[in-house]
Amino acid sequence: MADLTSKLTQRISQTQDQSPRRKFPRAIGLILLVLAVALLGAFPLLPFVNNYLIDVGFIVGIYALLGLSLNIVLGEVGLFDLGHMAFCAIGAYTTGVLFHQLQLPIVILLPISAIVAGGFAYLVTSPVIHLRGDYLCIVTIGIGEIVRLVLQNNPGGLTNGPNGIGNIGNPDFGLFSIQSPTQFYYYIWIVIGLVIIGLINLQKSRVGRAWNYIREDEIAAKANGIDVRAFKLLAFVLGAAIAGIAGNIYASKYMFIEPNNFSFMESALLFCIVLLGGLGSIPGSLLGAAVIVIFPEIFRQFATYRLLFFGAALIAMMVFRPGGLWPRRREGLGFAGLGIRKLPRDENALLAEAPVPPRPGTVPLRTYRLPPVTVAMSEGLTLETKAITLRFGGLVAVSSFDMSVATGKITSLIGPNGAGKTTLFNVITGIYRPNKGKVIFQGRDITKLKPHTIIGAGIARTFQNIRLFPSLTCIENVMSGPHCHAREGTWPAVFRTPAQAREERKIVDLASYRLNQVGLWAFRNELAKNLPYGKQRLLELARALATSPSLLILDEPSSGLNDKESEDLMAMLQVFLGEGFTMLLIEHDMNVVMGISDWVTVMDMGSKIAEGPPQEIYNNPLVIEAYLGKEED
Amino acid sequence: MDTLIQQLINGLTIGSFYALVALGYSMVYGVMKLINFAHGDLFTLGSYIGYTVLVVGASWVTATFGIWGGMAVALVAAMIGIGVAGLVMERIAYRPVYKAGRLPLVVSALGMSFVISQGIMAIWGPNPQAYLSGWTPKDFLQFGNIRVPVLQIAILVLALALMALIYWLVERTTFGAAIRAAAQDRDTATLMGINFNLIIIFVFALGPALGGMAGVMQGLKYTRISFNMGWLYGLKAFTATILGGIGNIPGAMIGGLLLGVLEALFEGYVSGAWKDVFIFLILILVLIWRPTGLFGEKSAEKV
Amino acid sequence: MAAVLQVETLCVSYGAVEALKGISLELDEGDIVAVLGSNGAGKTTLLKSISRLLVPRSGSIRLRGTDINKFAPYQLIQQGIAHVPEGRKVFATLTVEENLRMGIFGVRTMAPGKEYKKTREWIFRLFPRLLERRKQLAGTLSGGEQQMLAIGRGLISKPSLMLLDEPSLGLAPVIMQEIFRVIRQIHQEEKVSILLVEQNARKALAVVRYGYILETGKIAIQGEACDLRNDERVKAAYLGGAKINNPAC
Repeated sequence: MADLTSKLTQRISQTQDQSPRRKFPRAIGLILLVLAVALLGAFPLLPFVNNYLIDVGFIVGIYALLGLSLNIVLGEVGLFDLGHMAFCAIGAYTTGVLFHQLQLPIVILLPISAIVAGGFAYLVTSPVIHLRGDYLCIVTIGIGEIVRLVLQNNPGGLTNGPNGIGNIGNPDFGLFSIQSPTQFYYYIWIVIGLVIIGLINLQKSRVGRAWNYIREDEIAAKANGIDVRAFKLLAFVLGAAIAGIAGNIYASKYMFIEPNNFSFMESALLFCIVLLGGLGSIPGSLLGAAVIVIFPEIFRQFATYRLLFFGAALIAMMVFRPGGLWPRRREGLGFAGLGIRKLPRDENALLAEAPVPPRPGTVPLRTYRLPPVTVAMSEGLTLETKAITLRFGGLVAVSSFDMSVATGKITSLIGPNGAGKTTLFNVITGIYRPNKGKVIFQGRDITKLKPHTIIGAGIARTFQNIRLFPSLTCIENVMSGPHCHAREGTWPAVFRTPAQAREERKIVDLASYRLNQVGLWAFRNELAKNLPYGKQRLLELARALATSPSLLILDEPSSGLNDKESEDLMAMLQVFLGEGFTMLLIEHDMNVVMGISDWVTVMDMGSKIAEGPPQEIYNNPLVIEAYLGKEED
Repeated sequence: MDTLIQQLINGLTIGSFYALVALGYSMVYGVMKLINFAHGDLFTLGSYIGYTVLVVGASWVTATFGIWGGMAVALVAAMIGIGVAGLVMERIAYRPVYKAGRLPLVVSALGMSFVISQGIMAIWGPNPQAYLSGWTPKDFLQFGNIRVPVLQIAILVLALALMALIYWLVERTTFGAAIRAAAQDRDTATLMGINFNLIIIFVFALGPALGGMAGVMQGLKYTRISFNMGWLYGLKAFTATILGGIGNIPGAMIGGLLLGVLEALFEGYVSGAWKDVFIFLILILVLIWRPTGLFGEKSAEKV
Repeated sequence: MAAVLQVETLCVSYGAVEALKGISLELDEGDIVAVLGSNGAGKTTLLKSISRLLVPRSGSIRLRGTDINKFAPYQLIQQGIAHVPEGRKVFATLTVEENLRMGIFGVRTMAPGKEYKKTREWIFRLFPRLLERRKQLAGTLSGGEQQMLAIGRGLISKPSLMLLDEPSLGLAPVIMQEIFRVIRQIHQEEKVSILLVEQNARKALAVVRYGYILETGKIAIQGEACDLRNDERVKAAYLGGAKINNPAC
């Protein structure tokens, strides 16, 4: 055992450390940023800048704010929202209607517009949020159109139909009010600045990472304890609220709104802004907004054809540069890009500082609503399935299957192709719900729990065909593990509370420890998709370990590995066993199965045909028959 | 009673346009799993091609072939023109991004939609155009109290005939079976000797061609055409596609006719201003409750 | 006898994963040969490479002496190859009859003529159940019936070479018996050359003349079927006996 561990650490220390690549030093980036902000701030004061140009600057601001708000939904989470202007319309009309009906001041209407738009987004998207990408896209178009048509039809005489609402007031802060183009210019850009600070904080927190996990691979996100539905809704609500703010500011600047301000074409333009800039890129959204607004202003004679150019640009972009003009770079920044406070400058120091994770089973379970411990389990068992049956149409995939997994042991599930092994795994981890039977985990009935709750309860899994988050770095991949035990939500992330910062630090510590343990520390800042196949398997393993599970379920961990890698994997699994993890694997490589299992369960055509220690299984005639076929006479 | 019948006939007419456009959505989706956002704009392009043929050649075409012949020429021109446009579109906007995944395809389709509709505006101008009354027959048929224009009947008959033809082609011929086979399982279809590229070419020519003809029919019936009408027609036809079950050919036809009738009845008996809201609500509700469409998938069993 | 199929040092990878690491095998005209091995050994990959659904990294595949790359994937059926894919892959929303018609699509397009009808009658005699269900959608058939249909769909083009991928997969023993009876029959009566890929080694070795055992992308053992049947090494290749100290071995 000790020999194995030392062999492993030896191998790890041999791998070359790869320092983050940087295009230019951080200082230059900072100087450029200061210059850009200074230019933006000084713009209205420049000698050649007249009111017209200041208004252009304001419009760029409105589109930038809307682009940023759509970027949350489309860029961070990857949800195709082609009706985003509806949320802006709700904000603008909330302002317009309440201003006239209740004589509320514009400034007070700003947060109200945001809340109403966010609430509206919650109401209309929660029934459709589960829909697949392109369907959701169509639904958002439908929602956008419905909102515009309803405003046009003047319900209850509130919206004044196609004529729109006029005479909306300017914002008045008591001490000063905002009226002139220059004042509005600063007003919008200050709001944008605040929003950007909040968004960057969110991007660099577990909330932002959860959004990205969903965008990269929804199923893998679920299987790593991320409540996909909740985070998708959060993105819509937040995006809509910011769009509502933009609607309020727009209405107060022009003092007039009409339904056609919020047409499909406007939504499509926002879409272009985010895609041109790059999905999930904040500077990209600003750049996209500038291009979309300024380009038609310069080429006045072509202004009517702007959508023609943008359409062609979209196609060309998808063909030649799908990442956008200013994509968010993750791999070049190193750990600094994670936005966690007080990290040691030398990333290797983190390894020394990171505490050893607690033993499996001693991690406090997060506040997911877990069922109480009610079922008495036989001594020494971690997991039991009781008479699990699952049918797909007429086909019985799993038939009355009983299995038990002993605590602190390696149990293997084997069987010929199509026996139903992965299906059973999917039942245990909550992806499928069985027609009959129960899954009992540490005395809790987890049969009906959602996948992300099951992870939180202490079961982690890997996939047969490796499901990583391909465009995120290795450390970010592993950081999805601790997510399910973290508590700090959206607002602590936006304001970076000390508690949130401490929690983020814990997450990165745990992730570093696990990444190092599988020997991938040197690759921490590489994108997962750039790793060779064997290392991707290890990364997935580290990610599962980082959820601090009691039970680790591995679906064919050695498939696609060469003999050397297979052997290393076996050694590594032994190490984890020593740490106290219970393991359940599906494996085809019988050398692995026979070599490390304590117990083997054999499945054929959905039923259990044998179980026992490996030697016994090897000589069991039923098993031999399942694999090799019946003896012919 | 008379209004009911009148509304039903109107509904079937507009529904047959939806159905023809829906067929294109469904065919392309079936084979490529792609929602072709540009399809509605091809419909518009079709009606502009028909318009141009009749404007440019009005005296000559109508003089040579008569009113009916003139309309036929316009329809055929749109059919061929849009069929070719569909092929070109597939080549430049879709084929290079097939491998990149679903979402880049959707974006590319959206880009194509802008390019076509804005291209039409660039060529024919932003103002709506009108099919002239001299291009179409003015006769009526009298059934009791109901007067139905001969033109409308002709359009309805032609649209239904086209649908019957497509139904026969896709559901009854060996080639149609090959299309369905390729839609289901590309690799196995290749093992059978089905050339997948040929199938792609076929659906990207035929689907748009039908939409293009529907575009001409809409011009003949309602006279007014505009560069951005394809968006609304496309969205409604897509609703019809979803209603009938996407990828399901007969479903698209029934979905289109049903949607047209529902729209006409709603307009006639409830409210004209709210009819589009009604249709988009149908779209959303169907997607929530029956994403496989009213008729579901043809085969539920998957082994 | 002339070789109908020659595979030489074939290597195939999925991305970074090597699925086949230099496979060589031969199939003579009128012969029947099995490729055996457990899951993930590379059996299906081999057949897919022969049918050009996969592009090999290196090595060559020759069909009657001609490099297989000369034909587009969809043209191979015209060269007399019928590939019955793993997992049956019948077209679920097509009827049984339409599925059969798809089987000759690449050979004689559009018009199923007299000969087609004759072949179809023969297939219905081989699998009378298909006759009963000819108007049914293939998706509603049972697993065994789907396998019969898949084989029938391969046979209808009257191939000279059949590639059968795990015809026994997930079938009840009685049905399996029937499938193997038919495989033997088409080999003996119709003189079709057959390359049979199987996991069920014992069943397959009872039918074929010669066998190759594949283990993680390499040929581990090969030999006459009657020799392999009693070879302990075959069992070891499936159950990984090499790594445990089994007193029985």
